[in-house]
Amino acid sequence: MDIILNIFVTLLTFLYRVFGHDMVLSIAVFTILVRLLTLPLTIQQQRSTRAMQKLQPELKKLQEKYKNDREKLSQEQMAMYREYGINPLGGCLPLLIQFPIFIALYSAINMALAATPTQMLDTGGRLLIPGLDSVIPLNNLWLGMDLTQPPDMSIIGTSITSFIPIVLIILVGATTWLQFKVTMPKQQPNANSDGKPDQAQAMSQSMGTIMPIMYMFFTLSFSVGLSIYFIVSNLVGIVQFSLINRMRLKDAASADAGTSLMTVEGKTPKIRPASESAKKNSAVANPKGPSGRAVTNKSAPKAK
Amino acid sequence: MIQFRNRDELGLPDQGQRRHGLTGMRFRFAGIMTLFAVLALTLTACTGGPTEPNWSDISLMDGNILLTFSTVMLQLDPVDGSQVNLYDANGNVRTDPSTNTARRWEIAASGGSSPTRFYTTPLNVADNLLLAASYDRKLIEIEQDTARVIDINGTAIPGHMVADLLRDGDVLYVPLAEKDLLALTVDGYSQLWRFSTTRGVWATPLLLDGVLYVTSMDHFMYAVNAETGEELWRIDLQGAIASTPLLYNGSLFVGNFARKLFEISLDGVIIAEYDTADWVWGTPVIADDVLYAADLVGNVYALDISGEGFSELWRRQIASRAIRPSPIVYEDRLVVASRDHYVYWLDRETGEVIVRHDVRGEVLAEMLLIEPSETLIIGEPLLLVSTMSRENLLFAFQADGNSEPRWKYPR
Repeated sequence: MDIILNIFVTLLTFLYRVFGHDMVLSIAVFTILVRLLTLPLTIQQQRSTRAMQKLQPELKKLQEKYKNDREKLSQEQMAMYREYGINPLGGCLPLLIQFPIFIALYSAINMALAATPTQMLDTGGRLLIPGLDSVIPLNNLWLGMDLTQPPDMSIIGTSITSFIPIVLIILVGATTWLQFKVTMPKQQPNANSDGKPDQAQAMSQSMGTIMPIMYMFFTLSFSVGLSIYFIVSNLVGIVQFSLINRMRLKDAASADAGTSLMTVEGKTPKIRPASESAKKNSAVANPKGPSGRAVTNKSAPKAK
Repeated sequence: MIQFRNRDELGLPDQGQRRHGLTGMRFRFAGIMTLFAVLALTLTACTGGPTEPNWSDISLMDGNILLTFSTVMLQLDPVDGSQVNLYDANGNVRTDPSTNTARRWEIAASGGSSPTRFYTTPLNVADNLLLAASYDRKLIEIEQDTARVIDINGTAIPGHMVADLLRDGDVLYVPLAEKDLLALTVDGYSQLWRFSTTRGVWATPLLLDGVLYVTSMDHFMYAVNAETGEELWRIDLQGAIASTPLLYNGSLFVGNFARKLFEISLDGVIIAEYDTADWVWGTPVIADDVLYAADLVGNVYALDISGEGFSELWRRQIASRAIRPSPIVYEDRLVVASRDHYVYWLDRETGEVIVRHDVRGEVLAEMLLIEPSETLIIGEPLLLVSTMSRENLLFAFQADGNSEPRWKYPR
């Protein structure tokens, strides 16, 4: 953890020097760099989420078929995941990997911006680039707020700028909500067409409500610097997803010219009917596999 | 009227379907929620939540040890580390009528989530009157005989205070942790002048012949007219300075965060400098024309200053973590204390470790060497070491370090 922390503190301090001693700009650029570095994880997460969603109709059929045999259901589900090369935890794994980064960043902001002797002591010995000591201590004030402290809600109403903490909290909540809305694939209403309510969709919706609230709570509890990270990270996430999605649609459109059968994203299923056309990368708008499985595609199934 | 219908009529999945159908989604949902909860807890735990902004301070007052740390200020008997009792005018121990126990010289501040906290030594500003600088921007008067806080609201000060106050006659100098140095009247604490720095003043200024030598986190050392607050000169040392300069043979010696030790003339000219491996926080100490200093990665330096500039006698990696406090010289030994939980006694000639003691906590505060005197009735010189440990707040060692601690004061 110390290695990550030292790199983060050094990078933040370096950016602070490069960007004219502007800490907020440094945190923003730093966040963009972190998001770029974790882009492969983000892509994997989105791919996994989409693939899981595409499999929902199939999963529901399995659930109906084996509703009285949980063990068998579990085996069949796992077999299906294996078949399509999907890791059911694929959506969470990138989050777990980002976890230490997130914690390190939180500590790094506080250390780099050390406002008290004990915090400053923790900064000592962490700067890996010679000469960066000359910018210590960094300026931790921004729009009247201490970047190392949670927003001070007690000052609200005393002046116009005193409302900035509220704006900050709203921005964190709004961008989190927006990112969630943008990055979550659109649910197909009642995919099993049996008229029963789609609880998966309901869960997704409740997460879309809970997550912004939790992040707003974090904003109230943790440093203003971290809130800036949240906001920038969310905005970058939205842009990243839009670009990835655009590229995916572009690929899908160009592949649409060819004939396609099916695959879900991720690995090619191991057992599939062979097709010459399916050897090419292909995609269909709302394809169904031979067994009626909903699919998207990136790579076509290989003949066996 | 509320009617109950079965699940099919309501179009809900049956129990079995509900149980099996959404296991995966529920797992993911619960997983992500758990992740957030763990994240919140970890963030709080990793950073320790609201930590102490500063470390303790030890001093002597009327033959007793005065210890200030966080919400507590107390007096200890240097003989055995026991708390000092309060006495009435007749010399009898004061007792608490409700418990019928002896009352101790202790101030324990309260105030909910943001109590008053002390990290600096109070000053004696009048007969039976102490003045304490609290971290939360207040000057608080304390009746010395009774350890009674006269007014907990105190006198508001425009900044946090992490360095000791300085008094010269009727003037009180107050270094502010955010920026600036204040000069106040001792009587009434009204402002005489305010000297501007661009960053904090984390060390008590050195007063010499009417000139205050002020070090600041803004990288400058300033010479300021103590009477008027007028700047006489300033010198850019290219790094933050968190310690009081040391005066020796007409020169000022100080280390800083630019990984340097400096010798500076009293008119603000750098005479010599020496590169260290890391930041130097504590004030150097000089004995027999040898300067001793330590840095924040655990190195200790011995530099000959008898000739031109600094001449290195030895430098050694002593501790595995930062050495924050100033070293202490005792006879032929040099004592340093580190964040690695050890206090080291070194051979001044060679820098070799003679003995070390584990105090089971980080040592950040300045150590204090006390020697027997008319007012200090102790059998031998003692070295007082305060720690950030949750077990013991203060250790008293035999000054040469040759035995286990004489006593400990628990937190």
